[in-house]
Amino acid sequence: MNTRTTWTTQTARPRRLTLGALVHGSGGHIAGWRHPDARPDGQLDFPFHADLARALERGRFDALFVADVVAIWGHQLDSLSRTGRAEHFEPLTLLAALSLVTEHIGLAATATTTYNHPFHTARKFASLDHISGGRAGWNVVTSVVPLEAANFGRDNHLEHELRYRRADEFVQVVKALWDSFDDDAVVRDKEAGRYYDPAGLRTPHHRGEHFTVRGPLNISRPPQGHPVVFQAGSSETGKEFAARHGEVLFTTQHELGAAQAFYADVKARAAAHGRDPAHVLVWPGLSPLVAATEGEARQRLGELQDLIHDDVARRLVQDNIGDIDLTDYPVDGPLPDIPDTNRSKSRRDLLLKLAHDEKLTIRQLAHRFAAGPAVSGTPEQIADHIETWFHARAADGFNVSFPYLPGSAEDFVDHVVPLLQRRGLFPTEYEGTTLRENLGLPRPAAPARQLQEAGR
Amino acid sequence: MSRRSDRSRTDQSRTDQLHLNAFLKPPGEYLAAWRHPDTAPDAGINIQEVLSYARIAEDAAFDAVFLADLVGVPFANEDVLSRVSVVNDSFEPTTLLAALAAGTSRIGLIATASTSYNEPYHVARTFASIDHISGGRAGWNVVTSLNDGEAQNFGLDAHLDHATRYDRAEEFYDVVTGLWDSFEDDAFRHDQASGVYFDPAKLHALNHEGKHLKVAGPLNIARPPQGHPVIVQAGASEAGKNLASRIADVIFSGIRDLTRAQEFYAEIKERAAAHGRDPDHLKVLPGLSVVTAPTESEARDKLARLTELLPPQVALADLSYWLGGFDLSSYPLDGPLPELPVSNQSHTAQQQIYEDARRDNLTIRDLVRRVADDDRTITGTPQQIADHIEEWFHGRAADGFNVIFPYLPGTLADFAELVVPELRRRGLFGTHYTGTTLREHLGLPRPAGRV
Repeated sequence: MNTRTTWTTQTARPRRLTLGALVHGSGGHIAGWRHPDARPDGQLDFPFHADLARALERGRFDALFVADVVAIWGHQLDSLSRTGRAEHFEPLTLLAALSLVTEHIGLAATATTTYNHPFHTARKFASLDHISGGRAGWNVVTSVVPLEAANFGRDNHLEHELRYRRADEFVQVVKALWDSFDDDAVVRDKEAGRYYDPAGLRTPHHRGEHFTVRGPLNISRPPQGHPVVFQAGSSETGKEFAARHGEVLFTTQHELGAAQAFYADVKARAAAHGRDPAHVLVWPGLSPLVAATEGEARQRLGELQDLIHDDVARRLVQDNIGDIDLTDYPVDGPLPDIPDTNRSKSRRDLLLKLAHDEKLTIRQLAHRFAAGPAVSGTPEQIADHIETWFHARAADGFNVSFPYLPGSAEDFVDHVVPLLQRRGLFPTEYEGTTLRENLGLPRPAAPARQLQEAGR
Repeated sequence: MSRRSDRSRTDQSRTDQLHLNAFLKPPGEYLAAWRHPDTAPDAGINIQEVLSYARIAEDAAFDAVFLADLVGVPFANEDVLSRVSVVNDSFEPTTLLAALAAGTSRIGLIATASTSYNEPYHVARTFASIDHISGGRAGWNVVTSLNDGEAQNFGLDAHLDHATRYDRAEEFYDVVTGLWDSFEDDAFRHDQASGVYFDPAKLHALNHEGKHLKVAGPLNIARPPQGHPVIVQAGASEAGKNLASRIADVIFSGIRDLTRAQEFYAEIKERAAAHGRDPDHLKVLPGLSVVTAPTESEARDKLARLTELLPPQVALADLSYWLGGFDLSSYPLDGPLPELPVSNQSHTAQQQIYEDARRDNLTIRDLVRRVADDDRTITGTPQQIADHIEEWFHGRAADGFNVIFPYLPGTLADFAELVVPELRRRGLFGTHYTGTTLREHLGLPRPAGRV
């Protein structure tokens, strides 16, 4: 199978800020659903999601994004039952429905390569791309939550390297399936009775380590060629994977210097794979809390933090640090000594050092995790933060997670976006019709036919 | 619980109302539909076009729209495949259904998902999600899949054998419904003041370990508005009928003969009763392909204008398909049908064609013409169509119909404009929706959850 993709040439556009919004009805903050300006039962309310999507479109967000885990998000019921993490729409059905009530905004969702089959994944995203007129995006994840394995007949989660090998082959198969038909192969010539030109059909006949998939896909090539590929790898393997396949890279970098280093690293890796670094967008997270004054914004964040139940605080720390039971430790006391675990070590060490150096209690540490990349301040301060990171090449854009919904999203759209537009950082209108066009990403050309013949 | 008007004709044996399901296969059931001058040839991937069909059906108060599915292109010769539309170029049904949910407000939304090539956790979640998005209008057509073209997209060389498929399907259904019941109906409290989002005592893991599947659960979504989305099945074999009478709320059939349909109806209702179910809670909806017009000859002409568009090589391939995939292209068109091996695909269809050919002394060319003319379709005036429907309904051959449209939207719009009003005049079909969920439209109870 030929997996080489050629890129259509187009005139490079000047670098400009791009914005995506993370959508979950109960809000990005763990206690966001309890905020007085939140809709506590918004999580499974479609009209609520439709209004939110239209509000984001009013703010000219390039994309909205639905994260996903194919399990309930935690097994400690005392803490889980106090969060909105046990109920979710299935992302592809939510996005397909949202595509009918929006016109411009990109629609991206997570789908795991570990617990899906490439034929279904290729087909659903191709279908979404056709339904939405070229606005689909696929966030490729390999899954991290052990609870997911048990829903798919497995006792254990696949080991890290194996997950990424499978993911790599999965993405290759999906792209080959998307390319089953050439762009101009489906002629639909009523007169001649020819629906497609057989010369433009490219049946993948894939046989690999993890998958055997004959194909072709039973839908024409997606309007975008390939839906936009999102990725969030941060390990060495993950970054390599992202540099090879990712077009928008999510990252959890909180600190400007580290974010700049990450930015430079993944752009260089993309270039090393023969890709144009401008076609790999780096999006750190951003959780904005907007208020008229800085003090008021901080106060709002404080109020949100106070809504975190003690059990939820302990669980947040446990989930971030590793498999340790904090049930019997006072939440306003220090962390106990923590043994080595199988978890990603670098992050865990960083957190333990932070707790130790700053003498944080369990609750204080939980507040750090809950706040995430919080930026609380006036619209000017938030715009300044965005501008600084953008110009410092720490970010091409941001994956904005609103602490509670719809309130904090509306504040951002009404007060921060106009400032970004006035500063010339962010356009006032959608420039293109597809997500690719709006993000300034090229449309992948189908592999040339003669290469296909040679590759058989 | 019926949504239709209370009018009933005292001279008739049943007082309940007819159920109509619109089988949408854009741009139509017939292989030549995409060539018809009045169809959008790209309807398979044109959302506004498909949405317009759903709205016609909704305006006519159809109970539901239904989307069939194959998870792969069936094997056929390349020239033939390149002359047909639906199998090559169609939306994935659950994404389409979710989009239709956002574009309609009352009509039920049924899609096919295979139990052979899916994971139950994904299927349970997807249909629960559509049920929430649509406010309780979702239905799942449980199929075990048909062909090797599908198998080879999922790492298998050939399709699973019949018995294994049905065995897996039954277990799959048990897992999916068990996952839907993960949370009790009133588990989610969303109580901002106390901080209790859901009551943990009302969450139940599934921990299923069976012959084919191992699924821990729980599902990560609240119990669907309908409890369980409506279950549709179309089994005709012994295993199929047994499964349908146990699990289905609606059963489709392809039977065209009234007497046989009555026998099937009685048998299915008896089987449902034997499973301890109320037979009224399993609706039998035979397929009914219809072309109607104000006069009989106009209706016949309409169908003829469609069938003449079928290229002969496609008709021959279609005949081969019904004969079990046997390639007839090397036999003389004006000669008799050769002796063929018994089909693994649909033994019944193959036998029927053989019997017809022997009885009427038909050549291959004659048989191809029959396939092209497609005698599945009834043509006639609205009165004639309504007579047929009434005869089957009152004769207890059907609780309603899965109405099949040779080309879209033409034959659907004609049915909605001409036949539906006639059915209403006769008191067979109501004028508007009175319930909000598909279960309410169909007069089906809402399954109780776990306690």
